[in-house]
Amino acid sequence: MAHPTTEHHYAHHFESAEHEFESCKQGMWLFLMQEVLFFSALFVAYAVFRMFFPEAYHQAHHALDWRMGGLNTLILICSSFTMALAVNAAQRGLRERTVWQLAFTLILATGFLVVKYFEYSHKFHVGILPAKYFHVAELIGPGKEFTDPNVPIFFSLYFTLTGLHGLHVLIGMGVIFWILLRAARGEFSPGYYTPVEMVGLYWHFVDLVWIYLFPLLYLIS
Amino acid sequence: MSNHEGSHHHFILPVKTGTFIWITLMVLTVITVWIAQFNFGALNFAIAMLVATIKASLVAMFFMGLKYDKLENRVIFIASLIFFAIFMVLTFSDLAFRGAFRVQQPFFAESGSQPKFANPWKVTPELLAHGKAVFETNCVTCHGAQGKGDGPAGSAFNPRPRNFTEEPGWKNGRKPTQIFATLKNGLGSMPSFASLPLDDRWGVVHYVASLGPNTTVVTDADLKSVGVDPSGAVSAAAKTLPIDFAIERMATGN
Repeated sequence: MAHPTTEHHYAHHFESAEHEFESCKQGMWLFLMQEVLFFSALFVAYAVFRMFFPEAYHQAHHALDWRMGGLNTLILICSSFTMALAVNAAQRGLRERTVWQLAFTLILATGFLVVKYFEYSHKFHVGILPAKYFHVAELIGPGKEFTDPNVPIFFSLYFTLTGLHGLHVLIGMGVIFWILLRAARGEFSPGYYTPVEMVGLYWHFVDLVWIYLFPLLYLIS
Repeated sequence: MSNHEGSHHHFILPVKTGTFIWITLMVLTVITVWIAQFNFGALNFAIAMLVATIKASLVAMFFMGLKYDKLENRVIFIASLIFFAIFMVLTFSDLAFRGAFRVQQPFFAESGSQPKFANPWKVTPELLAHGKAVFETNCVTCHGAQGKGDGPAGSAFNPRPRNFTEEPGWKNGRKPTQIFATLKNGLGSMPSFASLPLDDRWGVVHYVASLGPNTTVVTDADLKSVGVDPSGAVSAAAKTLPIDFAIERMATGN
């Protein structure tokens, strides 16, 4: 590991820059633990209702386009990779590369939201809305009618899960943009890259959630 | 606390490893989609979850660097997964021992629908036919198509579901009002159907009563005992909305 080129002035209540980094990282993992538990309630709700209404889930998933979901999975995986490259570049003190990789990550995140926008707007157009706003007369083609009265439950879960995940993507884009600016200003060095690594951890977690959401929502056989 | 004053020896994920993980994740995504085209029954779900878990592990171990991280951070993250598992397992073990948990009413149905039959405690041929239809939607899984207590789900229960074609053994009695009480309150493994519309419940009562050998006489006092005013007014307590039905059933396990 290269030696710090510029000395990072760690906060006074830490023993060392190392101590500050480790504390920050542990805090980040505790936050991510909370995130797992936050999403776990929704996943349990998903599982319970899937057990109650397997037929409703099966009918409802016809309204989701697996190509869109699959494309978004690939986009998020690529963005996770560019994020890992950004962290790698920041750790090695490669300022320009850090900025570029963060920019790629931002572009991919935007791509994810654009795909999501097309998916949502199509659903709103045909009347697939959460809970009591759900009103679909006839839909999406032969053999794909919603005869099961509990189909709206699936879509309520769909909108809650993908909506909260989308919110995480939006927040992620905000913090990525923030560290992109800081990286461009040359605030990071091999001696100090804590924010880049923390944002990286958050972004990978967003990818992690989607890795499960994709098969659970789009690929119901 | 760290005593390594200023010395950084963090693991840096090599670009080569990162690239390998990235390609593996892309390939696994394609595999997930490809394998979903085939029908392996319940195995499809297991395969999809297995592949997702492999992908998630790769992301956590390499991109998030947990493989190289401190033990504490690994413990934190794995603990969150263990709590998730406990959450899931306890919820499902609870649901599995609740007997009938199927909710027939749509969650977001129009509430306050008008009853189709007036004074449904008085049997009419139309109400009897309606009761048969409600019975076939709600009851046959346990009580069987002929009401002999031999439905496919009935074998899971001890004692077995009531055989409606036989006279002896009815715990609450065979009077229509007594059958109504059972429907309203549940009995043993049988859940309460209190929030089916009132006329649906009475239809089922008349139909169930018609399956047995003898018909019984109901008095006004009997009707009052189950909360029905024989003059025709429906008591407020008997009117429950489908959404309450579902929530109550899930919350209380009845």
